[in-house]
Amino acid sequence: MSIQTIDSQAAAFFSRFQPVKVNGKSLARSTREEAAAALEEMTIPTRKWEDWKYTNLAPLVKRNLNLAGKGEVSKEEVQARLIPELDSDYLVFVNGYFAPELSDFAVTNYHVNTLHDLEGMERELFEAYFGQIVPFDQDVFTAMNTAYGREGLFVYVPKAKMIEKPLQVLHITTGSDKDLGIQHRNMFLIGEGASLKIIESYHTLGGATSFRNDVTEIKVEDRAQFEHIRLQIAGNEASQVNNLEIHQGRDSIAKTFVFTMSGDLIRNNLIFKLKDEHTESHLMGAYLLDGTQKLDNFTQVNHMKPHCFSNELYKGIMDDEASGAFTGRINVFPDAQKTNAYQSNRNILLSDDAQINTKPQLEIYADDVKCSHGATTGRLDEEALFYLMARGINKTAARKLLVHAFVLEVSENISLEPVRQYIDQLVSTRY
Amino acid sequence: MLNIQNLQASIEDQPILKGLNLTINPGEVHAIMGPNGSGKSTLASVLAGREEYEVTDGEVTFHGKDLLDLDPDERAGEGLFLAFQYPVEIPGVSMTNFLRTSVNSIREYREEEPLNGAAFLKMMREKQQIVELDKNLTKRSVNEGFSGGEKKRNEVFQMAMLEPKLAILDETDSGLDIDALRIVAEAVNKLRSPDRSFLVITHYQRLLEYIVPDFVHVLYKGRIVKSGGKELALELEEKGYDWIKAESPAV
Repeated sequence: MSIQTIDSQAAAFFSRFQPVKVNGKSLARSTREEAAAALEEMTIPTRKWEDWKYTNLAPLVKRNLNLAGKGEVSKEEVQARLIPELDSDYLVFVNGYFAPELSDFAVTNYHVNTLHDLEGMERELFEAYFGQIVPFDQDVFTAMNTAYGREGLFVYVPKAKMIEKPLQVLHITTGSDKDLGIQHRNMFLIGEGASLKIIESYHTLGGATSFRNDVTEIKVEDRAQFEHIRLQIAGNEASQVNNLEIHQGRDSIAKTFVFTMSGDLIRNNLIFKLKDEHTESHLMGAYLLDGTQKLDNFTQVNHMKPHCFSNELYKGIMDDEASGAFTGRINVFPDAQKTNAYQSNRNILLSDDAQINTKPQLEIYADDVKCSHGATTGRLDEEALFYLMARGINKTAARKLLVHAFVLEVSENISLEPVRQYIDQLVSTRY
Repeated sequence: MLNIQNLQASIEDQPILKGLNLTINPGEVHAIMGPNGSGKSTLASVLAGREEYEVTDGEVTFHGKDLLDLDPDERAGEGLFLAFQYPVEIPGVSMTNFLRTSVNSIREYREEEPLNGAAFLKMMREKQQIVELDKNLTKRSVNEGFSGGEKKRNEVFQMAMLEPKLAILDETDSGLDIDALRIVAEAVNKLRSPDRSFLVITHYQRLLEYIVPDFVHVLYKGRIVKSGGKELALELEEKGYDWIKAESPAV
C-alpha cells in the first residue's frame, strides 16, 4: 500500500468515531496511539486498488455517521433471535454497548470479558496480543478500529479446557436514527489443546441505517480446536466491514463459516495464518443475496509451514441486482512442503442483472504441494430440475429443494446441528 | 392407456420423430428397439416432458388426457414414470427427503392424504428389498457417488415407490453387468401387474430375455418401421439392424 496522506473526506469519516477511553486505565494505550498514528498516513481504498476492485466505498464514506447511543432491547426480542434448540451461553451487544441484563453466561472453565472489565491476567493477555494478530498498519478499517474502537469481547480458554457449550454473541442495532456508526473488537485466545465454538450474529431493530467496523483477532494454539460462525442477517440498511484473522499453532483445527443473507454493503476480510505444521483449516461461506445487496468476501490462506491442510468452500445464490465478489488467495511459503490446499467458489445467478466476480489467486513457492481451485457460475441445474419434476415435484418446490441443497453443501460442515437447522430455516424464508 | 398418433418432434429445429404411432393398453409390456440415433431416447424425453424437445405435430393421450399439455410433474401425477438413461446427481438433497417430497407431491396431485413419516419409512424399507438396494444409499444424496448399477437400481426403486401406471425404461440396461441386469429385470417383473404398463427402450435384446415383452417395435429414423412379438427381438439380435434399414423406405 502506498503511503498517502489521509484525505479530508476520510478524515471527516473517521472523526465520527471519537477517541473514547476504553476503561479508566486506558487499555492498550500505546498500541492505540500507534494505530492512530498509522491511520494518519492512510487513505480510504478506492476501486483502483486491486484488492478493492469490487467494493465501492465512496457512497459509504460520504455518509454522516454518528456514534450510536445506547438502545433499548427487550429480553423477548433477544430470545426471538437466539438460535432455537441451541444450548449456549450468550452475550448481547446493543449498538456496540454490552448489555449485561440481556446476556446469560455463567462460564466457569474459561474467561469471558468485555473490554470494560479486563483486569489482571486477562488484561495482560489482551494487551499482549492486541494489534498483534490483525496488523493495524495494513488496513484502514483495522487501524480505525484499533485506534478508536471502544467496546469488544475478550475470550480466553486456558490450556486443555474443552468447552462444550457454544458461546453466542448477538450484535443488535436499534433505533431509528440515521447512520449509526459502531465499532466492535474481538479477541479469542484458544489455549493449547483447548476448544470452543463461537457464533456471532447481527440483527437490526428499528430500521436505522448503520455501518459497523468489526475486527476479530483469534489465536488457536497447538492442538486446539476452534469454530467460528458468523450470521450476517441484519436488515438491508446495515453495512459492515469485517476483518478477522486467525493464527494457528501446530496440530490445531480452525473452522470459519460466514453466512450472509441480508445487509447493504458487506466486506469480509478473512485471513488464516498457518504458523506451524499439521494444521487443518476450513473456510466456509454461503450467501443469498437479492435486491441491491453488495458482498465482497476477501479471503487469504497463508501456508507457512509443511504438512498443513486447508479447504475453502464458498457458495452463493444471487438474485435481482445483487452483486458479489469472492477472492481466494492462497500463499504457499517456500518452507511449506506437503501442503494440501483446496478452494472452490460456486455461484448461481437467478437473474440477468445479478453479478459475481470470482478470483482465485494462488501463489506457490514450494514444489511438493497439492493445490486446487475451482470456480463456477451458472443457472440452477436444469437437468436436476427436470429430474425432480419428472418425479412429481412442482417447479417451485423443485427450485426450493435445489437452492437448499446448494447451501446445505456448505452448512453441513457446521458441527452444531441446531445451527445447521437455523440456517436451513433462514434459507426457507427466502426461497 | 397411452395413445400416440403421428408424433413429430424436433430438437433445435432438427426433426427426430417423424410421425410415430403407438398404442399401449393396461398391463402390456412394449419394447422399443432401434439403432443409435433412431429417436428412442427422444421418445422417452418427449413423453416425460423435457423442455428442449419441441413437439411439431401429432398428439399423445394418456388415460384420455392430452399428455403434451401437462407439465412434467403433472405427468408424474397422472402416473407416468421415466427411468432415466442417465440419472442426475443432486448433491445436498438426501434420497429420503427427495422420495418423501416426490411421493407426497404425487399423493397431493391425486388428492390423497400425505404419508406420515412412519408409513413412508415402512414403504421405503419394503420397496428397497425389491431392488436389493443397499439401505445406506438412501442416506446419501440423490445418486451422488452411486455406481452406474446403483443409479439404475435406484431408478427402479423410485418406480416401485411411485407405483406408476406407465413406466418408461430408457436404456435401463446400459452400463449394467449381468448380475445387476438380472436384479433390475427381476424387480421390474415383480412390479408387473394387469393395470401397469411398461415401455422398455433398449438397444439390445438381452434385457428382453428377462423382461419378456408382449410387443416389440423397431424404431428407425423417427418412425416405427416394424412391430411384432417377442421373437422380433431375437431376430434383430441375430441379423442386426441392417436388414431393417434395407427394408425401410427412404425417409
